[in-house]
Amino acid sequence: MLNVKKYTPYVFLLPSVIAMLIIIYIPLFMGISYSFTDITQRNANKIEYVIPQVESNGIITLKVEEKTKPVHFIGLKKYGECLAEPMFWQVLAQTMIWTIGCVFFHFFIGLGLALLLNKNIKFKTTYRILLLVPWAVPTYISAFSWRWLFNADYGVFNQLLKALSLEPISWLSHPQWGMFAVILTNIWLGFPFMMVTLLGGLQNIPTELYEAATVDGASKWQQFKNVTMPLLKPVSMTVVLLGFIWTFNMFNIIYLVTQDNPHTDILATFAFKEFFVKGEYASASAYSVIILLLLMFFSFIQIKYQKNESLY
Amino acid sequence: MKTKYALPIILCLTGILVGGCSNTRQVMKDGKRVITFWHTHNDEETVTLKEIIADYESKNPNIKIDYQQVPFTDAETKYQTVAQAKNSPDVFRSEIAWTAKLAALGYLIAVDNFATEEYRKDFLKAPLKYNYYDGHYWGVPDVTDCLAFMYNKRIFKEANLSVPKTTEELISIGKKLTYTKDGKDKYALFFRGDTYWFLPFLASFGGGMVDEKGDILINSQESINAAQYLIDLRLKHKIVPYLVDFANDYDNQQTGFKTGKYAMIINGPWSTSDLLTGQEFKDNNDNLGITKIPAGPKGYATPVGGHNFVISSNRETTNKKDTEHLKEVWKFVSFMTLPENEAKYALNNNLLPARHSTYELPQVKSNRFITDFKDVLETGFNRPVIPRSGALFVDMKQPYQAALMTNKTIKEAFDEIAKAWEKLLKAE
Repeated sequence: MLNVKKYTPYVFLLPSVIAMLIIIYIPLFMGISYSFTDITQRNANKIEYVIPQVESNGIITLKVEEKTKPVHFIGLKKYGECLAEPMFWQVLAQTMIWTIGCVFFHFFIGLGLALLLNKNIKFKTTYRILLLVPWAVPTYISAFSWRWLFNADYGVFNQLLKALSLEPISWLSHPQWGMFAVILTNIWLGFPFMMVTLLGGLQNIPTELYEAATVDGASKWQQFKNVTMPLLKPVSMTVVLLGFIWTFNMFNIIYLVTQDNPHTDILATFAFKEFFVKGEYASASAYSVIILLLLMFFSFIQIKYQKNESLY
Repeated sequence: MKTKYALPIILCLTGILVGGCSNTRQVMKDGKRVITFWHTHNDEETVTLKEIIADYESKNPNIKIDYQQVPFTDAETKYQTVAQAKNSPDVFRSEIAWTAKLAALGYLIAVDNFATEEYRKDFLKAPLKYNYYDGHYWGVPDVTDCLAFMYNKRIFKEANLSVPKTTEELISIGKKLTYTKDGKDKYALFFRGDTYWFLPFLASFGGGMVDEKGDILINSQESINAAQYLIDLRLKHKIVPYLVDFANDYDNQQTGFKTGKYAMIINGPWSTSDLLTGQEFKDNNDNLGITKIPAGPKGYATPVGGHNFVISSNRETTNKKDTEHLKEVWKFVSFMTLPENEAKYALNNNLLPARHSTYELPQVKSNRFITDFKDVLETGFNRPVIPRSGALFVDMKQPYQAALMTNKTIKEAFDEIAKAWEKLLKAE
């Protein structure tokens, strides 16, 4: 019989390793290799024209014409083209505004609510459940609801503005208001996650530390600054990094809320259009590699920064 | 669990994972030949389709049609995915803009020798042209469509006005139909920001997208005039709502027209059944007027759209060279395009037939909506018939909408479109 003990861990790992290989690593390396070629939808596959010929006796034969176009290795040329594209820089700037805007509000709204919920207040569980609702609703339902709220003719926001005798706004089609609308939608969707995670972090802080601080005569603010903040830092850093990566690649909100407003495009939606709408496989891959490098860079800084910190 | 079972179980799971992707399609089932068909009809149209297919199956007891409804918005991507693996359905209902693209990718079978010249003669010219690419016909038209000018007859009657025939009349009459005082907000016209809605004006002002030779016309003076005209409707003459909402404007247009907020809109035959449910039209179908889009300096114009039937180059037809199968597939397609079957869609679902002889059928002739649309269709022109016509619209949308919003001048925006198209056409 097989020496089960020695092999067991590897055997158990096998399905997930194979799945990861098929689902993540092979496509990843294929994507990276595409970015060094001029591959598009039009030369990626063998192309044949099939032209049936009908003989006088009714018999059909197939005539085949070869139309395949070659794929060339072009080194870093695609990256040069992508970086020279003015739209890329506009989209990169929009991506940063979108990501930083969302994560900033996610974090501080989440932190504020977590601090409130960490106190001994009545109906705490009820509040927690209510605050989790945005997170529990399927994204596309929330996205469509918000799109409806922002509707220029029938939306609630414009009805309000009209009631206050202010100028209504073309929320979703306007350059700046469009970005405002998607960020607002995503803030609403994203803060519960931050709140729950930070609340977990807060509950892990030993109460003895607060008791000691009170004995030393520290005010509430001093307690927050010198006890809560440093002890919450590891959790905060992790959720901020996670939030950053998610939001950077967050596709559905923008796709569903403002659709084709160019002023709300972020790198993820931009690369998607390159690939699926235009069939430019090579440049979509190059953009994806650029996104990957940017995110690796941010994670690297964060991890390095976190390592140098000592807590107590 | 005993650990000695672990290895076989894990290997089994892995095997399922890897083996789960095999192709199990059968051409013959219970002694019947199975023809697979993907269509993009909506639910109401599917009722008509079911009826036609049941009719075909009863007339051809040796054939089973395995048909599947694929949502229109995903259909192109889905089809391309299966076609890459030669796993595509035998027949696909392809939108006109997809046909040349799918042909260029080698996913289709040329039908020239089935749909002979004699057969093609009966089809309207514009819808048929969308099937022709690189020397061959790659499909046959199913139904066609075009944008038309729709108006609320009651509003015109009450104001004692006639329907505008030219773009100038649209302004002068439009001003009389617009009231924005007392919070009443009634507008003469609602105009969508989608690029497709720009095409009638683009053509009637003498501009265009790309011509037959591949020359770019979008940044010509005529094209710029067309855009200027539309911007003026909104900002200078104020007969179109000031607020724009490109993400929601299709629904807003429908709602506003159904409730009488807008006197005129531009839309296609696909929208009539929805419009007829609105409060302005549900008790009086005749209140919905359908006519040609007001003529610009170069006359009436409207873009022709529609759907084609295409035959896939898949495992059965190409790899296995099953020409018997191919023969049956073509027989099915030609049945689907018979005038009496096109007429069913026309009468039940207001879809426009693509054959001359269908319009001659008495039941079609007596349908007011179809004959109204037929008049509009006479003013139709083709969109560019190139594989990447869809990509043309993608590149056009953002600069065009920026020009409508006056974030860019029209010249800047259209030069930007021209530059993007140049790159695109060169890569063709």
